[in-house]
This record gives sequence, structure tokens and C-alpha cells, in this order.
Amino acid sequence: MEPTMVPIRAPELDVPYSFCSQPRSLLSRPKYREQSKAAETEKGPRRYGNIMIDPRVVRGNALSLRLLPESTQPSTPEVKKQRKAQKKLQSRKVTQEQIRPGTPEPVEGREHVHVQTELYLEEISDRIIEVDGECQTDEFLDRPPTPLFIPAKTGKDVATQIEEGELFDFDIEVKPILEVLIGKTVEQALLEVMEEEELAQLWSHQRAFAELRNAEFAELQRLEEQDRRIREEKERRRLEHLEKLRKQKETAEKVAARAFAQRYLADLIPSVFNNLHDRGFFYDPIERDIETEFLPWLMSEVEETLQKKVLGRMVLDSLIRMVVEKRLDEFSHPPPSDQTEAPAEEPGATDAAPQVSSEADAADQPVAEREQTDQPVAEE
Amino acid sequence: MAQPRISAYLPPDIDPTKAPLAFGRRALPKLNEELQSPELLTQQQALMALCDLVHDPEKVYQAIALGFLDNLKTLLVHHDQTVRQKTTEVLSIVALHSIGRQGLIQSEVISALTGLLDDPVDICRKNTHRIFDMMAKLPEGAGGVLWAGLIPPLVLKLKTELDEIQELILDTLSNCLRVDVSEALAAGVVTVLKEKLSHPSTAIRSKAAWVLLEISSHAEGKIAVCKEGVIPVLVSLLEDTQPEVQVNTTGALMFAAVAPQGRSSAMGAEAIPPLLKLVAEETSKARLNAIKTLTLLAELPEGRQTLLDHKDTFQRYLDDPSEAVQRAAQIAITVIEWKP
Repeated sequence: MEPTMVPIRAPELDVPYSFCSQPRSLLSRPKYREQSKAAETEKGPRRYGNIMIDPRVVRGNALSLRLLPESTQPSTPEVKKQRKAQKKLQSRKVTQEQIRPGTPEPVEGREHVHVQTELYLEEISDRIIEVDGECQTDEFLDRPPTPLFIPAKTGKDVATQIEEGELFDFDIEVKPILEVLIGKTVEQALLEVMEEEELAQLWSHQRAFAELRNAEFAELQRLEEQDRRIREEKERRRLEHLEKLRKQKETAEKVAARAFAQRYLADLIPSVFNNLHDRGFFYDPIERDIETEFLPWLMSEVEETLQKKVLGRMVLDSLIRMVVEKRLDEFSHPPPSDQTEAPAEEPGATDAAPQVSSEADAADQPVAEREQTDQPVAEE
Repeated sequence: MAQPRISAYLPPDIDPTKAPLAFGRRALPKLNEELQSPELLTQQQALMALCDLVHDPEKVYQAIALGFLDNLKTLLVHHDQTVRQKTTEVLSIVALHSIGRQGLIQSEVISALTGLLDDPVDICRKNTHRIFDMMAKLPEGAGGVLWAGLIPPLVLKLKTELDEIQELILDTLSNCLRVDVSEALAAGVVTVLKEKLSHPSTAIRSKAAWVLLEISSHAEGKIAVCKEGVIPVLVSLLEDTQPEVQVNTTGALMFAAVAPQGRSSAMGAEAIPPLLKLVAEETSKARLNAIKTLTLLAELPEGRQTLLDHKDTFQRYLDDPSEAVQRAAQIAITVIEWKP
């Protein structure tokens, strides 16, 4: 259903109408609800009126019958007429309503009477009985003091005499206080002592552990030290041993080299001497002397002598040849010319010949001398 | 009427020097704000209340989660001595809890505490050293202490501080030097410890011997110890009557004798007779260390000769209730009977 708008419309129709708003047709309800919801959300903001000043809102007693309130518009005669018509209609309707009750008509001889069936009867009337009442408090007054309550005396009168020290006995009273004090102190002290004891236990435990640890550590270091020493010792001995081996090897090599060298050199001296001897480095000086000096001289002298001899012979040969040739020439050539020529040649030849002969003589003489010397030498 | 039953609730806080605690979860945040207030009295009261609260581990956890440590760090350098004293006390109690220690490492409180080493108030210094001591027991804490470069100042302080604080310093040093020893050696810790070995107080002597033990467990430490000639002093300390001192001294000798120079100097100082005496006592705590030291000395030929005569003392320990002693005795016998 669409919410009703609250416009105050001018009455368009002449027909008196009891309702405030004119009737109007509703839009056809759509089949499907989603569409209707969508249609609803598309509407603009609704306009609300203040219900406090809404003339349609009824005030006052809920049970009283009331007429419709007049509209706020200035009443034109038409409006007045309409209102009167409305009132008439209303009263008619009321009566009609009364005539047409819901209950059936009474049976003959009976009458229907309205009866109240509640517990408390109520007088129903148009006008409600109203009574004004008011109250007012008195001026403020001070509250009067409460009177002393003295109950009536009942029972017997009895009296007691309290001696000194009976009500309050210090020793008894002080006990709980003392207990609290001492108890708390002792408790606190116990806690502290326990704490300290626990700590002391922990420390002694730790010390014991530390001792063991130190002992083990010392053992470890000792073994380390021992190990180090042994290793060092081993290392040293190994090095020594290596050194020894090396020296041994060296010595052996040296000995071998020495033996070999000795053997090699044993031959050396004889061979050297032999070589030198062969080369002639060792010589008898006189023999050498003779050989080197005398004999070459001798040989050269001999050679010279021989050469001279040869020379002489050659000269002689040439002489003879010359002579022979000359004679041949002479014998072949005519004789007259021979004489002149021959003496010319002869002197010439004799010049040459004595020269040659002198040479030959001269040559002969030394040759003869040489021969002489040669012979003794040859004889030697 | 008062009753003798002890109530489960803590007694009401009527101490006027403490700040009133807010209820439940709100207590610590409110204290946090009060700590930052400009008024001195508020700060002091808040610190007093905090001191009591941090004994509870849950409160410590909450406090660290709220970031209390940063506020406490700024309060460490406050001009008022009560504030400083209480702050250090709070931090020392926080360091007693594991979560507290981790929080302290994370917020780098250790470096902030270095400034307090020279504080004029004794309690502040003592608490500071207590904090260092607790932190050094953790490996990360010891690393933190080393990293903050605290070792040289601590070694210097050893010479000048009060006895109680010296004990704390020695404890801290022993834990830190287990990790790294080079810084301390550079600061000349061995000389200082040599003096402390002849201190009248038993605790200081035993702790000094413990620190020497830790030093000589490192190789550089051994060399330094032998060079400074601490071994004769240690040998003389073997005659001490206190079992604590004996244990630590034998331990220190044990580690020092691992090095060859240490061994020879121990032999030279005639360590064998007092060690044998210690071994002979059945219930001495030092017997484990003494057996170990004698084992080390037996590696030298002269030592072996001397100890061959005393073999039966070791054989008695072969059925000792403590397993470590048994093993040590066995090893000792093996070493003594070894022939090259």
C-alpha cells in the first residue's frame, strides 16, 4: 500500500466525504515483489508531519466520542454546508450503526440490554465527571527531635564488682600480637636463610664443578704438554737421523770419488811421463846440444861444400860445354875467319878461360880444401 | 578480637620513608613516573619502595619490560648520595635474577657503572662491585665486563680498596680472567696478586690464589706467573692451615706446573714435601689438585725418583669415593712408573 500523503486539498467534489483525504485509485500492484520494492525505493523522500500539531491526532480521553475536527482553512459557505452535511451523515451513520448491530435481533418478549460484565462497574457517559483536586505541602518545619526511648524496665537488677586486672590481662592480650610479630619475623628470617642457604649450596656445587673442571683442564694441559714434548723430541730425532743419513751418503760418495780419482790418476803420471818422454821433453843436454846445434851446422857445411862441388861441376860442365860449342863452331865455320876470330875468341876465351880457370882454380882450391876436409870428415 | 593466625597478606606499609605503592599492576608504572620527578624526596621514596619490590622475580620482569633500567642508569650519576646508593642497591638485587642480568647486559648498564668505581660513598662502590661480580658469573656478563675495559681499573683498585670490596673484585677478576687474560697481564695483575697472597685475611688469600689459578690456565698467564716468581710464594702458601687456601693454591700450582719453566721452578722451590703432606690427608679438599700437581712434577726425572718412594700414598686413593680422585691417582701412578 502506498503511504498516504497529507496534503490539504481543496475539496474538488461536492459529495460530502468523511475522510480527510480524497479517494484515489491505487496503482496496480505488480506481480513480483522485487519490482515493487524497486518501485518503492525510487520514490522521493516522504514527507512527515508533526503529530503534535496534526489535527487528525486525537487528544483527551480515549473513550469519549468525538467529532471530526474542523479544518484549518477559512470557512467558506460551501465549506460550512459541506461540514453540516457531513455532520448529518455522521449522525445518521451513528444511528444506523446503532440500528444495525452485530448481534441478532432479540427474540420476542426479550429485550437486549447492554450490560457490563467487568468486575468493576463503570458509569459510561458522554461527559466525564471531572473533579479538580489540589494539594499543597505545609511550610518546612524542622523535624522535632526523636523522643528518648526508654524501654520499660524488665528483669532483675544484678550488680558485679570488677577487680583490677580482670578486664584486661596484658599477658593474654599481648599473645596474639606477639605471635603475629614474631611469627612474621621468623618467617621472613627463615625465607632469607633458606635463600642464602640455597645460594650457598649453589655456590658450593659450582665450586665443586669448577674444581673438577680445573682438574680435568690441568690434566688436559699436562697431556698436551707431554704430547708437545714428545712430538718435539721425535721431530728432533728425526732431523738428527736425516742429518746422519745425509752425512753418511756424503761420506760414501766422497770415498767413492776419491777411489775413482785415485785409480784414474794412478795411470796419469806414467802416461804423462811417457808422453813427455816421447815428445822429447827429457833430454840429455849435451846430446841435445850436439843435435840441435852441431849437426845442423855440420849438415849445412856439408851441404855448402857439396853445393860448391856441384857448382864447380856445373861450372865445369858449362865450361866444357862452352868450349865444345866453341870448337864446334870453329870447326864448322870457315877457318880463315877462325884465326882472327879464334885468337880474338881465344883471348876472349882465354880471358874467359883464365877467368874461368881462375874461378875454377879458385873454386878448385876450396873444393880441394873442402875435399880434403871432406875426406877426413868422411873418414870419420 | 585479634587472632594468632598469620594472615596471608603482607603487613600494611607504614614506613614513611617509602613511597606508597599503587594497587596491583599499576605499582611499577607509577614508581617509574615518580623516579623521573624533579623532586628529590619523591625520587628517594620511590627508590626505597623499588628496593623492596625487586626481590620478587615477577616484579623484576615487569620492571625490565617497563624500561626501568634506563631511568636507573640516569640516576646513577645523581648528585645525592642516597639516590646513588639506593640505585646501586636496586641494580644489585636485579642482578641476582637471571632475567635481570640479561636486562642489564642489554641496556649496557655495565659501562654506566664504570663511573661509580671512584664514588666517595663506600656502599655505592660495594654495590657496584657486587653487580660486577654477579654479572661476571655469566659468560656474556664476563664478556661485557671485559669489553667495557674494566680490568685495568679493577686491578688498580685491588691495591687501594677495602677488604670486603677486594674480595668482590677478586671474584669478578677470577670469572673474567677465565675468558681472557691479556689485558690483566698488561695491567700487572700478577704482582698485585703476589702481595695479596700474604694478606692476613683468609678469604682474600684464597681468592687471590683462585685468580692466579685462572690466570695460569692460559698459556701467557703461565709464562707471566713463572717470570714473576710467584711459584715459591705459592709453595710457601701450601703450608697454610685453611683448607680454602690450600685448595686454591694447589690448583694454581697445578696449572703453573704444566709449563716447563713452572715445573722446574716448582721443583726448585721444593714443592713435593708439602704436596705429599696434603695428599696424605684423606679428607682434604685439596687432594685432587695435589695429586694432579704431583703427577705433573713426576714428569721430571728428579720428581719421579722422589715420588717412586711414595707410590703407596697414591695407591691408597685408587678406591676413593670420589671418581675424579681415583682417576687422578691412577694417572699419577702411571706417570711415576713410566720408563723412557
